[in-house]
Amino acid sequence: MFSRRQMLQRSSVGFGYLALASLLGEDAQAAPADPLLPKTPHFEPRAKRVLFLFMKGGPSAVDSFDYKPKLQEDDGKPCPFDKPRVQFAPTGNLLKSPWKFRQHGESGLWASELFPNVARHIDDLCMLSSCHGTNAAHGGALLKLHTGSDNFTRPSMGAWVAYGLGTENRNLPGFVTICPTLAHGGMKNWGSAFLPADFEGTPLGNASVSSDKAQVKYIQNSRLTRDQQRQQLDLLNELNRDHMQQAGAHAALEARINSFELAFRMQSEMPLVEDLSSESDAMRKLYGLDDPVTANFGRQCLLARRFAERGVRFIQVTHSDAFVQWDQHGDLLQGHSKNALEVDRPIAGLLTDLKARGLLDDTLVLWGGEFGRTPVAQGNNGRDHNPEGFTMWMAGGGVKGGFKYGATDDYGYYAVEDKLHIHDLHATMLHILGMNHRKLTYRYAGRDFRLTDVHGDVAEKILA
Amino acid sequence: MNGMRTAATVICICLLSFSSIRAAGPVFETEIAPLLKVRCVKCHGPSKQAGKLDLSTPAKILRGGESGAAVAPHDLAASRLWERVDQNEMPPDDPLSPAERQKLKDWIIAGAPGLKAERRTANADEHWSFRRLNAGAKQFPPDVKDRLLIASSIDQFIQSRLESAGLSLSPLASRTTLARRVSLVLTGMPPSAEELEEFLQDGSVDAYERFVERLLAQPTFGEHWGKYWLDATGYADSNGYFNADTDRPLAYRYRDYVIRAFNQDMPFQQFLREQLAGDELAGFVAGNEATDEQIELLEATHFLRNGQDGTGESDGNPDEVRVDRYTALESCLQNIAASMLGLTLQCAKCHDHKFEPITQADYYRMQAVFYPAFPAAHADLWIKPKDRVVMAPRIGETEIWNARKTQLEEQLAKARDEFTAWAKQNRVRGDTLFEDTFDDSTTLAARWSTTAPGDDVPSGAVPVNLDSTNAPAARIHRKQLEIIEGSTQGDSWISTKQSFDWTPDAPGAAIQATFDLVDHRIGPDGTQAQRIGYLIATHDFNDNSAVDNGNLLIDGNPGGATTVYFDYPGTDGNRTVPIGGTGYVPGCNYGVRITNTGNGKFKLEHLVDGVPEGQSATLSAKDLPDGGFSFEYCCGRSFIVDNVLVEALTAATKKENPERAKFEEQLADRRKELERLSRQTEQHAQQRPGRIAWASDVTPQPPAVHLLTRGNYAQPGEVVEPAGLSALSMGAKLKVAQQKESQTTGRRLAWVNWLVADDSSAASLVARVQVNRLWQGCFGSGLVSTPENLGLSGAPPSHPDLLDSLAARFVASGWSTKAVLREIVLSHTFRQTSDASPTALDRDSGNRLWSRYPVRRLDAEAIRDSLLAVSGTLNSSVGGAYVPTSRDGAGEVVVDEANGGSKRRSIYLQQRRTQVLTMLQVFDAPSIVFNSTRRSRTTMPLQSLSLLNAKFLTNRATDLAARITSRTSDDVARIEDLYRTCFSRLPTADEVDAARDFIAEQSSILGTSETTTQRAWIDLCHSLLISNEFLYVD
Repeated sequence: MFSRRQMLQRSSVGFGYLALASLLGEDAQAAPADPLLPKTPHFEPRAKRVLFLFMKGGPSAVDSFDYKPKLQEDDGKPCPFDKPRVQFAPTGNLLKSPWKFRQHGESGLWASELFPNVARHIDDLCMLSSCHGTNAAHGGALLKLHTGSDNFTRPSMGAWVAYGLGTENRNLPGFVTICPTLAHGGMKNWGSAFLPADFEGTPLGNASVSSDKAQVKYIQNSRLTRDQQRQQLDLLNELNRDHMQQAGAHAALEARINSFELAFRMQSEMPLVEDLSSESDAMRKLYGLDDPVTANFGRQCLLARRFAERGVRFIQVTHSDAFVQWDQHGDLLQGHSKNALEVDRPIAGLLTDLKARGLLDDTLVLWGGEFGRTPVAQGNNGRDHNPEGFTMWMAGGGVKGGFKYGATDDYGYYAVEDKLHIHDLHATMLHILGMNHRKLTYRYAGRDFRLTDVHGDVAEKILA
Repeated sequence: MNGMRTAATVICICLLSFSSIRAAGPVFETEIAPLLKVRCVKCHGPSKQAGKLDLSTPAKILRGGESGAAVAPHDLAASRLWERVDQNEMPPDDPLSPAERQKLKDWIIAGAPGLKAERRTANADEHWSFRRLNAGAKQFPPDVKDRLLIASSIDQFIQSRLESAGLSLSPLASRTTLARRVSLVLTGMPPSAEELEEFLQDGSVDAYERFVERLLAQPTFGEHWGKYWLDATGYADSNGYFNADTDRPLAYRYRDYVIRAFNQDMPFQQFLREQLAGDELAGFVAGNEATDEQIELLEATHFLRNGQDGTGESDGNPDEVRVDRYTALESCLQNIAASMLGLTLQCAKCHDHKFEPITQADYYRMQAVFYPAFPAAHADLWIKPKDRVVMAPRIGETEIWNARKTQLEEQLAKARDEFTAWAKQNRVRGDTLFEDTFDDSTTLAARWSTTAPGDDVPSGAVPVNLDSTNAPAARIHRKQLEIIEGSTQGDSWISTKQSFDWTPDAPGAAIQATFDLVDHRIGPDGTQAQRIGYLIATHDFNDNSAVDNGNLLIDGNPGGATTVYFDYPGTDGNRTVPIGGTGYVPGCNYGVRITNTGNGKFKLEHLVDGVPEGQSATLSAKDLPDGGFSFEYCCGRSFIVDNVLVEALTAATKKENPERAKFEEQLADRRKELERLSRQTEQHAQQRPGRIAWASDVTPQPPAVHLLTRGNYAQPGEVVEPAGLSALSMGAKLKVAQQKESQTTGRRLAWVNWLVADDSSAASLVARVQVNRLWQGCFGSGLVSTPENLGLSGAPPSHPDLLDSLAARFVASGWSTKAVLREIVLSHTFRQTSDASPTALDRDSGNRLWSRYPVRRLDAEAIRDSLLAVSGTLNSSVGGAYVPTSRDGAGEVVVDEANGGSKRRSIYLQQRRTQVLTMLQVFDAPSIVFNSTRRSRTTMPLQSLSLLNAKFLTNRATDLAARITSRTSDDVARIEDLYRTCFSRLPTADEVDAARDFIAEQSSILGTSETTTQRAWIDLCHSLLISNEFLYVD
């Protein structure tokens, strides 16, 4: 009788099995032949992939999707209840929203004039109006949202998803992040921490690079044509096969040979994804590529759709410049207007396109920032960070459209009803992907780790 | 929220089953489980549960069947399983042999170890790694049947286990394979051609031993083995803490200390003492000069501060800042636990450890040892990382430095005086519109005002007190104008009463305002002004006039470029533009010039000594209404000026005014020389000798240290006294004595003396941890696969007796690292081939029995260093400040190859936590958060992409090709050279043919010229450099 491991080793599975020696011992989890092979989830999934539209800096909920008539009425009055014990900066009295709100769609959910195009999709959106986190600073809040921990280095949620589900396209990574920010935790936000590095996010460019220059590292060779490199690779394969004769057949050596072939295929596949020339003018227009204001983020969204189509498991798109784009401590009107203008059309276009292609059915779209902004003023025309209550939204992936989950208080400061902590958001996201967040564990340093640590409740009410 | 949920999930996390605890009696996993599987599970297993009994897993065995418990630990009579076996009822047809029966019996009597966690009842002394070495270690290696391959006692232990599994050690590896292997293992790089040749030519019986000795004596040995230690202890060149991750410019002295210690084979016991209490051992008195020995000891203490420390940057509320302080203290403990004790401690921060015999009190007693150095709850005592520095100059060093400093400063002052005098004398003046030399102390109010020309002082605003020292104030003193700040509101100034037209009519004409900056230190405490602020077009105090804009604030920055604020302090005050580039230093003349450039545009230039410099800005007429010239108060803007001058220039450009052109050219030349001198002086001042980044107690009187209830910083519990871990301490108390010379509590010295005390449990554990790490360095994984955890929750050792025997000899050798490594690499186990026999693959698939040498990928640093070495471009200089890395536009972390240090070994590159060299990171080099005791070895497409396409690789291939082709023009000789260089062996005839074919074919694809042939050689070299034979050790 053979153990599973021996069986794997005997059968010549294509990708070989990875360096086993290092996996033995306490972390001897069943080492799959290829860590990124598609895996069966714990139960029937509602979505197969996640597309996360990250608005860096903290978009204001009370100015976008969380309508608070009382805030408009009581403009300039002191906040009637205690402000949080831990605040990022000193703040003053209540500040009304400079934008008009109205109800949209059949559901009649509210949205402000900041997002006229997204509002047209309101009946597909599931408003998570009661999100809350624990950290009032960008660095901690970004890490909390991306990794579930604001003070320890933990795997990114994208890495957990890739670890749990593998990927459907072996010519591409399982987790890509388009133009991520290098600040506020930077690569920790897409890192795999103690999970095997196979699961870490592959960045295309970064937030200070224009999206038409966003590329995977080392994807191009500056010296050799494809033919020349093929020839070189053939020689390399020959060398490696000879070497196996000498050193003996080792899984790691075989895996390396295959990895070169995969890299070579990826070199062809990646530029295909990145090359938008096959997209029609109408499609480019849909994403706002015709307008310099929306082109940069529109291109990111279009790229995201192309990755989604090709089976990438977790795709993140970040809206940020080299600074903290949505961070309007002052000049809320000017800043938020500019930011919303840049993303509104592209996001609406993305939703339209995903729906038309049937991709929205099995893609979970998630929108939001690391926190929201206070209903009270900072200075005379800005808002401070507010992790106590803010809005994110989901679309597709088996969640209820035109649905509002939870609520904040009368002024939009604290989440009060059906509170959804970041851990709950993570638990819910994993649930939608068919995974029980309590069972998705990885053993490291003597204990089993989870994305949700010891927390997390699934927001059952939002499931369609 | 709901407490139930929290409680339930906490249990989830903490009560992980672990079945691998080793205790006395047969081992469940390797002896009992297989027995049950073969003899019982067919009928009592997953497919069939006769009597509702399933013996396939520990949990199910514990649960028992319908007639009760199958196994009752320690109690044969109550164990139904034993009863049925003993009476020969089970297995039904084929009873157990006497040996099998005995094994089962022993196991139950021993408490059925492995069935469940027995933490609560187990005596800590019984855990294998906590036993004292001389008490527990087997003195003699076991007998083996086949002695043919036995070269040392290591081999006996290994062979004995192999034989019991029906296996044997593999044959000796080839000499060339061995040369490459041992060189990579001991130095992190393949042997040079000369070293290889010397070894291969050495026909003596001890040729290999001699080769090993040469490797052990190389400086590259310490660089390679020092790196393992630095990783284990969390060394980094930055402070960590989110995105700040600020620099630790002096940490390198600790890195060099570690490398030296390994090269000198410092007794490991001593090595630990120096790192934990070097300051207490040094007897160094602050303010004195230090001996070389003392300097080493002080450098060693940087170990304590290797953890991340964000207290220099934390800007949150007091709670957050306290967390940051505690993080530094806790990181220190964690690094000690992982690198020296091989234990996980963190759990005991909040409660008694669930897996290890470590109580919460133990944790805080240990914390009390290091608390005086990192007093986390005492904000007033805390020292920020950049200030954790001791000045310990070598004898005579400071004197030499001081003399040079004085000399440079005098030289600079003289040069500056000459320069200023010359500039003043030769300056080309325009038409004077306003001039004040402040020679008459009574004239201030006559010429200057606290508002703007023609504007009222608004009510409520703080006026500037003219002729007064009551801030905000302006007064003429010593024939100079003193500006004394007084408020944090940016709306007070003194302005000339006279108004000027700031928009000269004719294109080419200009107006300029200048002043001498006499001093920018004026406060009683001598603090330097943060800004030198002045305004032009000052016309409107509170922004309520109908005139557009104006009040243009020029905010001079001592550190660099100057900022212009429009309509200050009005609503447009946020609009800014930078001008200039030079910082404000006393002794120079500063100001701005506005030139009409036609088309209604005006150029605003920054003037230093009357000459435009740096960037300029373009303004329109509405930015520049008529108004006064003024100086700004507030926000760190106190300074002294003289010679305020407003001039009109009819022709502003050099072309239009040759006299001015000549002056400006001469001035630029003179200024260059001045700047060079200034830089030199500044540089020298920063290089005060003897700066050592260290850690020491901040007070000789230890503050009270509390146990923190549930780990909550806000809930101090009982006061604890420093002590060793109770599970290891043999009941001995720490002998703490305050250290007079070092002004320390003596706690750390007492603790490390406990840690490494001869024949103690603690020292035994320390020795096992280190020997296991050495084994891991030689074989890729340790005898215990979790080198940071030899506790109950760690992996059990594959060969406990071997580990103990090696550890005992480590201690007996005087804690000599090289002695242990020598013994390991001379063993047959190390020297056997990596080619596994089918039987070995079958029975020892994971190679935990070491039936062959494990093939594995080189670590990231070894890959990079080897690439540099074989391509002949390695810069092998030793020690010193790190080689900086940087992030390029695409986000890749690189070392600029134009930098002289770029080709040094990886250990000398900047180890910034958030900025790991991409080339290394791709190959699993860790980004140090806490520490790293072992590497993962992933195989990822990104690695292959980098090997194929990264510039670093193509550059090395180009270097290597140049090296190979320059030596000879004969293709075969070149190919032989190439194989010898890269693989430490000669190519086979087939390989020579394949390489020649490749050169021919690749040349034909590329073209036929000489350069294309060279390119084909580059491609060939590239292929070899990224081949498995190069990337793996076998």
